Amino acid sequence: MNAPARTLELGRVGESVKRVDAIPKVTGEFAYSSDLFAAGMLWGHTVRSPHAHALIEEVDISEAVGMAGVHAVLTHTDVPGAKAYGLEFADQPVLAIERVRYFGEPVAIVAAEHPEQARRAAERIRVAYEPLEPVVDPERATEQEPIHDGRPTAGHGFRDDPRPNVVRSIVIRHGDPDAQGEVTVSGVYELGIQDQAFLGPESGLAVPDGEGGVDVYVATQWLHVDRDQVAPCLGLDPEQVRIHLSGVGGAFGGREDLSMQIHASMLALHTNRPVKMVYNREESFVGHIHRHPAKIWMEHRAKRDGKLVNVRARILLDGGAYASSSAAVTANASAFACGPYAVENALVECACVYTNNPPCGAMRGFGAVQSCFAHEAQMDKLGAELGMDPVELRLRNALAPGDSLPTGQKITGSFPAAEVIRRAAALPIPEPEELPRDALRLPGGSGNTTRGEGVRRGVGFAVGFKNVCYSEGFDDSTAARVRLAASDDGIAAVVHCAAAEVGQGVVNVILQTARTELDLDEVVLGSATTSSVGSAGSASASRMTWMAAGAVQLACRAAKDELERRGGDLEHGETIDVERVYHHRPTTPLDRETGQVTGDGAHVAYICAAMRVVAEVDVELGLTRVVWIGTAQDVGKAVNPQAVYGQIEGGIAQGLGLALMEEIQTQDGLITNASFTDYLIPTTLDMPPVEAQLVEEPEPDAPYGVKGVGEPPTVVSTAAVASALRDATGRQLTRVPVRPDEIVGLP
Amino acid sequence: MELLRPESAEAASAALGNGSVALAGGTELVPLLRDGIVRAEKLVELRDVVPRGFDGTRIGAGTTLAELEVDPQIPQALREACSLAASPQLRSMSTLGGNLLQATRCWYWRLNFPCYLHGGDVCHAKAGQHREHAIFGSDRCASAHPSDPAAALLALGARLHTTARELPLSELYRLPTDDNRDVTALEPGELILELDVPQPEASVYLKAMERRKWSFALVGVAAARFADGVRLALAGVAPVPWALSSPDALEQATPLPGTAYKVDIARALIRRAVEAVGAPRSA
Repeated sequence: MNAPARTLELGRVGESVKRVDAIPKVTGEFAYSSDLFAAGMLWGHTVRSPHAHALIEEVDISEAVGMAGVHAVLTHTDVPGAKAYGLEFADQPVLAIERVRYFGEPVAIVAAEHPEQARRAAERIRVAYEPLEPVVDPERATEQEPIHDGRPTAGHGFRDDPRPNVVRSIVIRHGDPDAQGEVTVSGVYELGIQDQAFLGPESGLAVPDGEGGVDVYVATQWLHVDRDQVAPCLGLDPEQVRIHLSGVGGAFGGREDLSMQIHASMLALHTNRPVKMVYNREESFVGHIHRHPAKIWMEHRAKRDGKLVNVRARILLDGGAYASSSAAVTANASAFACGPYAVENALVECACVYTNNPPCGAMRGFGAVQSCFAHEAQMDKLGAELGMDPVELRLRNALAPGDSLPTGQKITGSFPAAEVIRRAAALPIPEPEELPRDALRLPGGSGNTTRGEGVRRGVGFAVGFKNVCYSEGFDDSTAARVRLAASDDGIAAVVHCAAAEVGQGVVNVILQTARTELDLDEVVLGSATTSSVGSAGSASASRMTWMAAGAVQLACRAAKDELERRGGDLEHGETIDVERVYHHRPTTPLDRETGQVTGDGAHVAYICAAMRVVAEVDVELGLTRVVWIGTAQDVGKAVNPQAVYGQIEGGIAQGLGLALMEEIQTQDGLITNASFTDYLIPTTLDMPPVEAQLVEEPEPDAPYGVKGVGEPPTVVSTAAVASALRDATGRQLTRVPVRPDEIVGLP
Repeated sequence: MELLRPESAEAASAALGNGSVALAGGTELVPLLRDGIVRAEKLVELRDVVPRGFDGTRIGAGTTLAELEVDPQIPQALREACSLAASPQLRSMSTLGGNLLQATRCWYWRLNFPCYLHGGDVCHAKAGQHREHAIFGSDRCASAHPSDPAAALLALGARLHTTARELPLSELYRLPTDDNRDVTALEPGELILELDVPQPEASVYLKAMERRKWSFALVGVAAARFADGVRLALAGVAPVPWALSSPDALEQATPLPGTAYKVDIARALIRRAVEAVGAPRSA
């Protein structure tokens, strides 16, 4: 069941190397977690709440337990250990107890010989609910009955906010929040709920080890923190739960939280059989957290020359039923609310609330996407008000090393905001194409809706940034282990690192780093697992390249030192085996009242990108075509340039999806479009060609000067596409996704 | 569940009802079964009994959309409508007859809300979210009919041959009423066997979608020019495919607050479709 050890064609840091998983993925040979199989395995199924908010009066499993092929039917009373878990706050029941708080919340689990038997048994579990009025309007949530007893997120060093249903609220006061400018623009901006929409639904296999422990093979983002949540709920020691990474079909933050890990483990330990669980597409939509929908008010005060004087923002995030990583998303949305601009005065108020809407948590861009959409709309508006070129306005305010963020943190290290703006703005945009054209090169695409009638062209620009690595004192490290042994050709190396390959290319990063450091071609990467190496931290926050390269570099250098100490060679059968843990420089919390930094600062480093978008809009039909995107991105150092370009294009596609079509629709907390038929994601026809420029300004503290690349394209592209649509239509377009009904009917 | 494979259309008709449901391409039925919207004890396989293929203006109802979208004998509007329905994988399975009977994407209906179409008293979409819903015929139910080929065939003036009768396509559809919530007028056991599709002088199907391919019509407009004038029909605007007697008839639309924009889209698309097919030669 272990994935085979992985090798790749030779390559050192800085060289474009074909992804080791590329060919297997495009030829259909890659083994995803949904392909797992074990002899004698059972299939698990989850019984989920059909209500967004209800009391559970009774769960009657009597009919289900006796059905053919059924081996186990479990409810919250069968959870062996802690009854609740969570990434930051253990507020989420393993299986619902007395109350369900969101549509699709797990209530019971079944294991049977065949998945269809499990499904039918699940249908026979009678759950008596007493529906409660769901809390679905985040603006009213702070005045309604609390949906959690007590305050799960209180007492964690956060600002005290006594209102009901507050997950976290932050106030950042910087300079003089009352400072006046000569020009003021304001607006209210909204973003719908975006789903990660990874193609590989949640799936995995739990195998009992016969000694009370369990091995879990699963598609996840952070193996060790999965283990640290699973083990207590099973009442086991951490060593008794071993998490092994299986083939991941995309993650984008949506696999940071647990899905089927505890459930499959409970069923496996209960039946003493391997248990496999695979969510279907509809279940995947309700079975993981989403991007926070947001409502944002912003006011920008500036001088006539365009220099920002004061930015005031109020941000409301809907966290849904459980906390997940909402507290950190709140911090990010606040810290980056003003964009990559130097602002001496700011007042940012941000709150995330509990509701009975779908739970929200980590998704690529993590709070910065929402803020970027708002601050860039504001910058466009300010430019229009001042009659100033949008690029010039942004350059005039670009944040640079030595400047401070609104949190008071001084920018150190690499921060080439002005450079990415200049480079993106310098990219030549394509000339308008002649008519007639193929329908596929017009708004409306294959629908053949125009031959040019109603089509207007627009050019948009946006800049955005966010942090790399975790923040506010949450300093997760990365471990790597290197084993050297004699081989026929000299020395061979095996590297172990629990970094999750989620499609971003970290396997290549690890191998390229090891080859560079050891100056060896013969390097093999072992499976990512909790049983052979320490925590790698999460494959998120654009941190994995930096942290994995740092850890592998340390371990390789230690192994090399040891090899030299032993005279530079190994006898047959002699090995060197070292593990090292890499830490980035420490961070410290924000002051809970003022939102100002304490100690070293809340963030490690930053990554920024600028983007220029050409779009065409058929203003009579409200249909769009994104024609071209040019971007310049601050990457520190590209370890594998080809993979970096891939991340930029993929990240843009995801942000374009939010700009144009992606939105989870809800009605009273129920998800109404949980399918790829009704939740639209971009196709290749929706994606324009992308011209990307890499700005390589090394980060002084990081191995080889690397930063991260996964998130900035997503942060910026939503804002940049919306900007181009605004330019084409003359409309404000204050909400994404921008739908045809917000464009049609233009005079 | 049992699969029946009758050897004649008559036998298939006789086998339907009482928990037996017709299966053709399965692209519509299987998801409805999986979602518990349709329940079946037996599936009656139609593949061997419903004609497939075409000859002149006669089209077998068992012909797949993929077969129709490429053949130059088929009027352009129908070819385009077929090629714009769903994805290639689905079109290679789905039949024309099945597509005409496609159910709405209204999510209240799909989520089994006790809505008017399901036999309840109210249309939840009217008071709820209805951006994708109707601008015509929405007195009782505001759902939107999703079929692209149905709009094309309606504009083309297609006639149906069923196991029981011959009728114009327009008479296949009916708005749901208090005593009958069906949107088709098929009798129990009645199967669509063939279609007669007149050859127009010119025809076209234009489809406004929220994605550049592979999504349902916000508004689809079919226009077919015959010697006596241009016929128009719309997809995605009413609980059934909707024929318009003239472009001006659009102004009789009764949109919901959230669907008013569809009238604007339809107006522009109708203008473009009429322009595309040109004026009748005899005019």
